[in-house]
Amino acid sequence: MANEHSAADTQYFRAFTTGLWRENPTFRLLIGMCPVLAVTTAVKPALTMGLSVIFVLVCSNIVVSLIRNLVKPHLRIIMFTLAISTFVTIADLYLKAFQPQMSEALGPYVPLIIVNCLIIFRAEACASKSSLTISILDGISFGGGFTIALCILAAIRELLATGKIFDVSLMPSDYVPLLAMQMPVGAFVTLGLLVGLSNLLIKERTS
Amino acid sequence: MSKIKFFIEQSWLLLVSSFFFGLLIATANSAWSPRIEQNKKDKLTNLMKGLITAASNFEPAIQGVEIIGAKGQKQITTIYKGINDKGATTGFAFIASGFGFADKIELVIAVDKKCEKLYGYKVLFSNETPGFGDKIKNAYFSDQFKGAPVGKFELVKAGDPLKIDDTIVAISGATVTSTAMVNIFNMYIEQIKEQLKQKGLLSDGK
Repeated sequence: MANEHSAADTQYFRAFTTGLWRENPTFRLLIGMCPVLAVTTAVKPALTMGLSVIFVLVCSNIVVSLIRNLVKPHLRIIMFTLAISTFVTIADLYLKAFQPQMSEALGPYVPLIIVNCLIIFRAEACASKSSLTISILDGISFGGGFTIALCILAAIRELLATGKIFDVSLMPSDYVPLLAMQMPVGAFVTLGLLVGLSNLLIKERTS
Repeated sequence: MSKIKFFIEQSWLLLVSSFFFGLLIATANSAWSPRIEQNKKDKLTNLMKGLITAASNFEPAIQGVEIIGAKGQKQITTIYKGINDKGATTGFAFIASGFGFADKIELVIAVDKKCEKLYGYKVLFSNETPGFGDKIKNAYFSDQFKGAPVGKFELVKAGDPLKIDDTIVAISGATVTSTAMVNIFNMYIEQIKEQLKQKGLLSDGK
């Protein structure tokens, strides 16, 4: 009995931590790259995008997990897309109503969450085969991992491009802003360096 | 009959889910759409107030104004009238758009009540290159339009940006965006003046 509890706990712990680091969607799996490159010019839009993805991922995982025994296998992708697009539309409407400035800053990237492969990947790989609890934890884990990665990338880019984070000046007064960090080149270079760093950390740990 | 049964067996979940998700979106939309509309109006009003400072209120003066571009393309806009506390017209504003370097540029342009001088412009939407094209939001560029005579503008690569006339000094490294800005003004401003004249809304009656 104690062994069963411990096995379940391990399973929950695994579901909660996998997406945060071991299979981080941005640094380890390199999926959902479009918003990673586009919305990481500042921390605020990156955080808003990350929270939107968590909302969509958790909600779609819940729906997919609940219907997993009812849906016909050949109709599953259309069902997943239906659920995902509903929650993305709700997130988009919410931002337009309550965070209009952020909605404007993110532009088309919120509606584009519908085609973010991270969402459908977790629906197919986890939620369609797992219990409700595991699916919720998986959504939080992968959404959280994605959000953390976006925020790290955005913090580096915003700091180097403006000398500020959240409008708080963190660089010396004579700091010359690196405008290239706000442009696509800044996103690619920062992402490449962070992916390299994560590879190095994994390599060191395994060796 | 068996075909219908087969169809229902296969797709009942899809049909029920479609209905349920449609209802969810409709509920969210009906709950939040008044707020979304209000946000849009507030943003436009704030931008117009920033340009026509003497106005305390704005109301549509002419709706569905058709603007025809150089290549025959049509744009529809609304001309708003700025009104002060005494009810007098203090100026006119409208939304103008055109294509820049990266994406569409949307501006709110304001003119005085005689439509002789520009109050200036504010950027409603722009996705121009940071550090280059997005300098259209900076005073260095936008101030060249403040107080400029209503008419055709000419873009020059070098000159004095502090001199207010019909020449606009381009942003260095953003010639396409600068040209787009001048084109937007040249496309809209005279047609808007013509519309105001035709409707007899200009305060000198001309």
